[in-house]
Amino acid sequence: MNIIEVKNLTKKYKKLKAVDDLSFEVRKGEILGLLGPNGSGKSTTINCLLSLLNFSSGSIKIFGEEMKPDSYDIKSKIGVVFQEVSVFEELTVYENIDYFCGLYITDNKTRKKYIEDAIKLVGLEDFKKFYPKKLSGGLLRRLNIACGIAHKPKLIFLDEPTVAVDPQSRNNILDGIKKLRNDGATIVYTTHYMEEVEILCDRVIILDKGKILATGTTDELKELAKIEEKIKVEVNDLDCKYIGEIKDFKNVDEVEYNWNMLLITYKKGKNNLFDIMEYLKKENIKYSKIFSERPTLNDVFLELTGKELRD
Amino acid sequence: MFINNFKYSIKTLFRNKALIFWTFAFPIILGTFFNMAFSNIEKSEKLDIINIAIVNNDDFNNNVVYKTAFKDLSDKNNKDRIFKTHYTTEDKARKLLEDGKIVGYLKIINDEPKLTFIKNGFNGTIFKYVTEEITETSSMVKNISEEKIKKAIATGNYNIDYESIYDNVMNLIEDNNVRINNISSNNLSYTMIEFYSLIAMVCLYGGMLGVVAINQSLANMSNKGKRISVSPISKGKLILSSVLASYITELIGLALLFIYTIFVLKVDYGSRLGLDIVLALVGSLAGLSLGVAVASVFKSNEKAKIGMIISITMLGCFLSGMMGVQMKYVIDKNIAIINKINPASMITDGFYSLYYYDTLNRFIFDIGSLVIFASLLIGVSYISLRRQKYDSI
Repeated sequence: MNIIEVKNLTKKYKKLKAVDDLSFEVRKGEILGLLGPNGSGKSTTINCLLSLLNFSSGSIKIFGEEMKPDSYDIKSKIGVVFQEVSVFEELTVYENIDYFCGLYITDNKTRKKYIEDAIKLVGLEDFKKFYPKKLSGGLLRRLNIACGIAHKPKLIFLDEPTVAVDPQSRNNILDGIKKLRNDGATIVYTTHYMEEVEILCDRVIILDKGKILATGTTDELKELAKIEEKIKVEVNDLDCKYIGEIKDFKNVDEVEYNWNMLLITYKKGKNNLFDIMEYLKKENIKYSKIFSERPTLNDVFLELTGKELRD
Repeated sequence: MFINNFKYSIKTLFRNKALIFWTFAFPIILGTFFNMAFSNIEKSEKLDIINIAIVNNDDFNNNVVYKTAFKDLSDKNNKDRIFKTHYTTEDKARKLLEDGKIVGYLKIINDEPKLTFIKNGFNGTIFKYVTEEITETSSMVKNISEEKIKKAIATGNYNIDYESIYDNVMNLIEDNNVRINNISSNNLSYTMIEFYSLIAMVCLYGGMLGVVAINQSLANMSNKGKRISVSPISKGKLILSSVLASYITELIGLALLFIYTIFVLKVDYGSRLGLDIVLALVGSLAGLSLGVAVASVFKSNEKAKIGMIISITMLGCFLSGMMGVQMKYVIDKNIAIINKINPASMITDGFYSLYYYDTLNRFIFDIGSLVIFASLLIGVSYISLRRQKYDSI
């Protein structure tokens, strides 16, 4: 069952197309990742879905109904965590969550329980009476999330919720999102961190310049990268002749040597790591580190656009 | 949802230190300063009798209202005497004016007064206001007399009761004298004028609260607005509850100022405190609507909008006489339209009229102007706020 159906969504800013003929759906209970660099149209898409922005053409259905600014029934089932921290400086952690939860839940008893659940989910139990300016960046982001999901929505939009947070808070946030999904929520998650997408998302849409470049599971997308394996070797002053010889190895697609790091990209094949280690040993080339990597979504993006995801 | 938003709007407003300073503390500090500064001036300064001239032509001598009023106000035996009047020719009056011996002169032409001044000043303003009062009475006398005579003729009664008409006219003239006497040097107060402007300032500072209420409710104005806009509460209900919270906060600020000035600074607002409060309520509404309009129409951050409100308020109060009583009269005389559209001036003028005049005509005019001002701004805001979606946020 589809929770969101978007057809031919286009949003123009004068001549610039911020979102260009987007069509996709979000299935019940999944975490859909919208992955793309800054300015790729992720947030604009979310704002169009939420009926905050006018769009030039296309249609949006949420829970099977057309989404409009006064679709209060639909809105009551949605939770949103915006990229920017959106809380009241004058209210404590508890009061902020109570305020935003109160926009959805009128019953005081239920609201109280929901607030406690949200505080627990994001790990802010010790900061209930703190004002936002007393919180670190990571804790503030957690509060931002708690304000968006305290009312236990069925559909949650998370727009880059982990921007500029410390690793501990990031892990906490990601764990919380997984728990929300496990509790039955459907999640649309936008980010430009491919690692998060790989950890969290069931399906991914890769966006660039407002267009969908690819859609699929992470494994499906990685096949688009057309590479099987990358081997990195940290080695000092490698002679050019060795680089030439490695290029002639079976299955090697590309060899780069920069800043004492040798990067060998393979299109396919297995045991590539073993082969290269044998060669280095035979040629008596001393290296400090060697490791193998599977292709990442960044490689997919590179393959599709010719540029890095974070360019 | 309405109550939840209302409750937290009140909380956020009362915890916003900058807003609390500008709406609650600043007026009280300024009031204390005014009281210290102007009460000393008033103690040391007693207004002199004002030297004026009246062109002693037939028009003046035939106008019983002007003649009686100025005679009484220039009577040496009158304890509320305001003027020392030179009855002379126009040439001599002009010479006296040029020599600085009088503040201005009056010439009646076809029952219409013409005042001539060389420069603006407080004494000149008193002369002007007294003349306006007399003109108003003169007009009433004329209308009442004409009406009574017309009525008598219309009913076929040609035995007109001239005695009764005369009594009515004389009562009016006497009544007019009482009002004019109230504008005597003993009753005029610099401090009162400053306090009226101060209350006008607090009313208009309510605009800041209006800005906050609107800014945090709209998706294209703030991040909180975005979050609130995706919730299932209607925009109208949300804005209404936020604006109501702002209005109540503003009224609390005003009440504090009234209480402080009445009980601590011993300011006497006169015997019509009820109407003063009505004026303050309407003035606050005008201030709030100014803030709502600024927040709705301009797309800039909250600080910039609050800066606009402070600037508009300070300029309005300056033009209405807060930094110098003379300013209001200078504007009145030279660019009267400014004070007609200046809400601070409407509020200040309303307080003047309640304090100095027995009739409510001027007060009602000021209240009406404020209601029109607020209605126009609310109309403009409504048009801006109707939008549900935005082209960019």
